[in-house]
Amino acid sequence: MKETFKEVPSIWTTGWTDILNTGTWRSAIPIYQKRLAPCHAACPVDGEIPTWIMLARKQLYQEAWSALVANNPFPAVTGRICHHPCEGACNRGEYDGAVAINALEQYIGDLALSEGWTLPQPTVELDQRIAVIGGGPAGLSCAYQLRRLGYQVTLFEARPELGGVLYFGIPRYRLAKEIWDGELQRLLALGIEVKLNYQVMATELSALEKEYSAVFLALGAQRSKTLPQFSVHDPRVLKGLDFLESVNLEVAPQLGQEVVVIGGGSVALDVAGTVRRLGSQVKVLALESRESLPAQPDELAEALEEGVEIVAGVMVQNVGLSFDKLSLDCIKVTLDETSPVGVLRPIPLLGTDFRVSATSVILAVGQDAELTGWESVINVGQSLVRVDANLATNRPGVFAGGDVTPVERFISVAIGQGKKAASSIDQYLNKESSKEYSCSKEETGPEDIVSYQDINTFYFPEKTREQREIVTVQQRLQNFAELKIGFNSQQTQTQAERCFSCGNCVECDNCFYFCPDMAVVKDSSLAEHYHILDQYCKGCGSCVQECPRGAVVLKEETGR
Amino acid sequence: MGYQINEEKIFNSGHAACPGCSEALAMRYIVNTLGPDTIGVVPPSCIAIISGPQPLSSMRMPVYQTTLEASAASAAGIARALKAKGNDHTKVVVIAGDGGTYDIGFQALSSAAERSENFIYVCLDNEGYMNTGSQKSSSTPYLAYTTSTPAGKQTPKKNLAEIMAAHRIPYMATATTGYPEDLARKVAKAKDMTGLRLIIVLAPCLDGWGLADNAGPKVSRLAVETGVFPLYEVENGEDYTLNFGSIGTPVAQYLALQKRYRHLNQAQIEEIQLEVDHNWQRLQRNFVTK
Amino acid sequence: MNKDNNRILVNGNHAVAYGVKLAQPKVVPIYPITPQTPIVEKISEFQATGKMVVELMTAESEHSAMAACITASLTGVRVFTATASQGLMLMHEMLHYASGARAPIVMFNVNRTIGSPWGFWPDQTDSLAQRDTGWLQYYCEQGQESLDTVLQAYRVAEQVMLPVMVMHEAFYVSHALDIVEIPAQEVVDQYLPAFNPLHRLDPELGESWGNTVNQEMFYRHRRDLDLAMQKAIDVAQEADAEWRELTGRGYGIIEEYRCEGAELVIATMGSMVGTARDAVDKLRQEGVAVGLLKVKLFRPFPSEAVRQALMGVPKVMVLDRNFAPGTGGFLHQELKAALYGMESGPLIHGYLTGVGGTNISPTNIVSLVREAMSTQPVGNSVWKG
Repeated sequence: MKETFKEVPSIWTTGWTDILNTGTWRSAIPIYQKRLAPCHAACPVDGEIPTWIMLARKQLYQEAWSALVANNPFPAVTGRICHHPCEGACNRGEYDGAVAINALEQYIGDLALSEGWTLPQPTVELDQRIAVIGGGPAGLSCAYQLRRLGYQVTLFEARPELGGVLYFGIPRYRLAKEIWDGELQRLLALGIEVKLNYQVMATELSALEKEYSAVFLALGAQRSKTLPQFSVHDPRVLKGLDFLESVNLEVAPQLGQEVVVIGGGSVALDVAGTVRRLGSQVKVLALESRESLPAQPDELAEALEEGVEIVAGVMVQNVGLSFDKLSLDCIKVTLDETSPVGVLRPIPLLGTDFRVSATSVILAVGQDAELTGWESVINVGQSLVRVDANLATNRPGVFAGGDVTPVERFISVAIGQGKKAASSIDQYLNKESSKEYSCSKEETGPEDIVSYQDINTFYFPEKTREQREIVTVQQRLQNFAELKIGFNSQQTQTQAERCFSCGNCVECDNCFYFCPDMAVVKDSSLAEHYHILDQYCKGCGSCVQECPRGAVVLKEETGR
Repeated sequence: MGYQINEEKIFNSGHAACPGCSEALAMRYIVNTLGPDTIGVVPPSCIAIISGPQPLSSMRMPVYQTTLEASAASAAGIARALKAKGNDHTKVVVIAGDGGTYDIGFQALSSAAERSENFIYVCLDNEGYMNTGSQKSSSTPYLAYTTSTPAGKQTPKKNLAEIMAAHRIPYMATATTGYPEDLARKVAKAKDMTGLRLIIVLAPCLDGWGLADNAGPKVSRLAVETGVFPLYEVENGEDYTLNFGSIGTPVAQYLALQKRYRHLNQAQIEEIQLEVDHNWQRLQRNFVTK
Repeated sequence: MNKDNNRILVNGNHAVAYGVKLAQPKVVPIYPITPQTPIVEKISEFQATGKMVVELMTAESEHSAMAACITASLTGVRVFTATASQGLMLMHEMLHYASGARAPIVMFNVNRTIGSPWGFWPDQTDSLAQRDTGWLQYYCEQGQESLDTVLQAYRVAEQVMLPVMVMHEAFYVSHALDIVEIPAQEVVDQYLPAFNPLHRLDPELGESWGNTVNQEMFYRHRRDLDLAMQKAIDVAQEADAEWRELTGRGYGIIEEYRCEGAELVIATMGSMVGTARDAVDKLRQEGVAVGLLKVKLFRPFPSEAVRQALMGVPKVMVLDRNFAPGTGGFLHQELKAALYGMESGPLIHGYLTGVGGTNISPTNIVSLVREAMSTQPVGNSVWKG
């Protein structure tokens, strides 16, 4: 071999730049954190909505259902009748229409029932026994969560059936009986002792306290309010909840052809819709103006389609009685805007009198809690039980929640209250934080909620929101079958894909792909799915900008 | 993502690009898609700086740094030598800036195309001589500020894409860093072809254009969505395919994010809108559905 | 041409082409310019007829041709190109780049006047103006020598890892017909080993070339280049000696012709050497003690050899067919520098003869000798037609 005589050139590049620490350049570093999505923040049961929607997108429906029922045992119910504040808060609403979260929940809830999925049995059995007074949504939710933790639960219900307003008060065309039965039985299968037809009196409280480690009062608001203009003794004057209950129990009274409903909320419209299905004409008279009716907009639209006549901004001043009709002297009103919240002060408009005749009048003007006797054992104020932020009454070991306390009266709020009470009871009994409950909502301020500005809409092609179909009006008026048609699997997939997954990483890998320094590493062993290489990240924030859903934020680094 | 990006570990971290640099992002997809059996050619440019200071390289493949006008000729020399050695598998890629491609390097590129030299030429187009402090190149768009055109450039951007398509090279494509999978797909496609393949990548320069550190991909997408820089492919000068084009976003949205357009008045913005619309109309004549 | 007969009648340029064919470069970028074009035309013909297996790249400019030479060489193959005058000027940037890259390129440059104004005439200024680019330089006086020197150039280049340019002049040598012996391929294969550089652009090695270096690295690199350049003197001499053994033809890095007892030695390069040989013979016939020093290897300048050759010679007359404004004749200046400090060194006349391609005959040289012998030299180069 010929000897190479030359000198080796002094400069050929043989090393690599990855020994250089460009991480020293930065002043801020990306942090992956699960941030609060606005739907989650708005959800009364603290539902992890982006999580279960993501699972649904992957068609892991049972996993999605498991995520749902961690916070709410009745997704098929709430998927029908929840007032869905999640959709109102949904960031996609500012883009091309909110995600149809409620419809997605219904699909999963219904699928669980048809597939026969069961709630997991508790992994431990504790000795302590808890008494839950009231078998409505709040009480059942509390019983459920306590049972999950392993407590022994006894549920006292004054009525012959469990469910409260879910069984007695919601019209079957909103919530079919078999749906409710399915979800209730599934819950009871966890082993809850139920005492029906057992009304707990206030005087029994001390005895209960001896037998049980804690007590949850979920008495609801059962007493319908009345109006002085209407005589409670006239059989043609009915109370809304009583009326709805009688229909659900299939013992509806005769109403005659001209029914008048007093009230402007959901109960009033449920009553009106029910009346229409029973074949009568119905007028709804509400104090509130059309724009400020407390009922949900879709409920209002449905009622109007069904031929309900809504007369807003009107007050009944006097009622004349005759043997076949009631004669209502009405006047148009406006509401005093200076009156305190929750207090309606109508101001009659002179010269707008008119008369309405009715064969029946149904009052749906609100409910009060039935607390006779309770004020001597616990603090009661303004006809409601007083509780602190943990739903504890002034009596140690006695908690209260749902409509019997000052809360917004929605089913989902009641379910959320039951869950919260269970957590409080658990903490009370163990004097330590329960790990089961993610109180992420309470620890974060409004600035931690992902806003629309945090969403990179480039990654979401416009796709309109689809609504659930509603059965035609003619069909609706024929019977009490459900009026909303749930999504099929195709619709569910398409609509689930619209979810931005705000603040919740779905491993789209954008952060990984947009880093010019390859400082983002995929690591499926981490909960955050990625980690940042400290020695390379220059803090440019491209990953943050390109994260479609605000699941990574830039944090300033001090003291480097 | 429609196209699955498949990366080999060729581009190293620890390079000296500015935080958020579009060129570094582009280089990642170019070299990681081409793989280790590649020889690179890089002229003076930010790319040369990102390539690493002696004795370190940011690319785990041989890279030759050449003079500013000679990228295409240098690449041709390597390609010919490989052919002479009987090597038909090693790829040759030029990664050059717009200065070294549209201006001083144009002659060599045009001739290499005419001779059908066998290499891939990627131009990272940041519309100016950014490495030397943002001077104007023939790629700088109409009315943009540069240090050598402080009142705004008075002439339009040279349309290199169409010029090179007219050379009838087997493959000419435009791409940009806001669409990384599109860029990677085009590099992979070019890799499997022979002859002179050109990819012009619009790479917004954060410093030169006056952008925030994280704004590179966003601005590059706006360039596409406004029709300023449509992404398309031309094969053999004849077959045009549109990948991502204008969706009608007003060009003012694109201009508003860049300090180099801050001096514009309303009439000038409208002028630019007309120019963009005209060019987009003109380009669309080529996309005939088969 | 009968292939068994290895002596052919060719012009100087074609002789070079035959030499290149024997060296078997693998990549040859070409660009036409008068008067080197016949070199690349002949190579093109060889390639087209299958006599050479080579990648012929018709570059669009000499600058690109040299750029491609550098990279092809760094990729590990032998390369060649040819140019002249303007083409060489255009390559200037890349000439520095080539030597800095330590690329063992061999290039043939046909010396031609540089514009402006235009001219196509023999004048060595074009290549001499590149003397600082780190390339070795050889000046040849006739076609055979050009062929032989191309082969010597590859050997030297690939040993010291520096590029080499070989020159002969426009028309006097490039287009003049001569009998040239073409060596056998086996002889050349024995003389020139296969080119296999240790460092190259190769994915299997993964090395890169050209990253920005710091000041200290740059300094070391330049010093290493200097060491290679200095070593080239011995390497060139050894290469010439071996060629003489193989073919019977050797030229030395300088040649002393009839210098014994010379009162005056003519020093010159290129085709002027041939003319001067005639003048020396004529003068010697008349009993004038005059000799001739041919400088063949101009870069690195063979200072030691020149000093030895001119030791004790009273006068030197330099004939420069070239001119650098502000300096004068290149050989004149280099010779003065080489001889500086010699004890009893010769007096030196520097004559600018043939600049721009004017015809210098043996008679002209004879009268210049007589004049030089009878006059005192001045420092500057003197215009003598």
